[in-house]
Amino acid sequence: MKPIILVLAMVCSLATFSQNNTIAAGEKLTFTASYNMSGLLTDFAQVTMETSAVKTSKSTLLRLKCKAQTYSKWDNFFKINDLYESYVNPKTLTPYLYKREINEGGYYKFMKYNFNPKSKTVKSFKKKRRSDGTFWEEKKNLNIGTNTRDIVTTIYHIRNLDIHKASVGNTDSFTVLFDNKESVVSIKLLGKETISTNLGKKECYKLAISLNNSDLLKGNNSNLLWLTADANKIPVYAKFKVAVGNGELRINSATGLKH
Amino acid sequence: MRLIITILAIIAAILGLALSILPFGNIALIPIVIAFILGFIAFKMAQKEGKNTKLVKIIFLIAIVGLGMSIYRSVFDENVVEEDIETINRDKASEEDAIEELEDLDLEE
Repeated sequence: MKPIILVLAMVCSLATFSQNNTIAAGEKLTFTASYNMSGLLTDFAQVTMETSAVKTSKSTLLRLKCKAQTYSKWDNFFKINDLYESYVNPKTLTPYLYKREINEGGYYKFMKYNFNPKSKTVKSFKKKRRSDGTFWEEKKNLNIGTNTRDIVTTIYHIRNLDIHKASVGNTDSFTVLFDNKESVVSIKLLGKETISTNLGKKECYKLAISLNNSDLLKGNNSNLLWLTADANKIPVYAKFKVAVGNGELRINSATGLKH
Repeated sequence: MRLIITILAIIAAILGLALSILPFGNIALIPIVIAFILGFIAFKMAQKEGKNTKLVKIIFLIAIVGLGMSIYRSVFDENVVEEDIETINRDKASEEDAIEELEDLDLEE
């Protein structure tokens, strides 16, 4: 699931503390993830991206939730049930808490980041299951850069960018904290393209994504993301190429959109 | 030569049947088509040489079962995600834990 989530996340940041005018609570996007096997695409998982308002006694935050679950026909062979979530300021999309819980065919891992945007530090907590069923934990304090975000916040942050102001060929980079490491991701605006989706024909921004100093994403311009060229900037289609093959992500439905 | 083609046809037919049972979608059609082609060649060669064609007929039978299974799955198998209680409870518990952790956060500060 990591490549899929990464592919979704990999777009740049143009304005660090820009106001959120794209994402509202109550939005739900559903995708089908397919894997290319010998030239034939096989649907294997459903990916959902949901937003909701979360109230504490002092504040109202926005919960950004991404789930990846294998279709039930796969569950007996290799079950994936991943939950990625981030709790952010609804006005600026600044992250305060990030959680990632992955269950993939018996492999279990939990990561939590408590962000302190003022001191630019993160309290990290990791829990993993050993092969004998016992757990081990690790706590760390990390110093992060000014523009470093978690992966979920980044996904939503890119939709809040003023992509219409960028020119074809423009490249930008941003920093994502993943597995306690900061990774620099670059994106390039390749242009506009009208594609057929389950939501109808959509004019989209076509973006190429690359991960610096990592071999997770393969190929040159092989990892692509299409965002609708409207106020919602919905990710409707993504293509990814990783070490073990390639696949794609197609949108099925989009509800609760702000615009 | 006929023996090699027959063995390859058996392998392709069994692989096709196995893939049609597993949730690999239409990928099972590749070995099934190969099994039919190789089976047909083996059948013709066996006829020409006046050999028994029983084994080739079994290959066709396996390939037909695999084809039927594959078509059935592509028509009737839906992409459904099982929303079990454990997952629903995990989502809810995660949100409750988050609210607890973020209780002291004041965005207006």
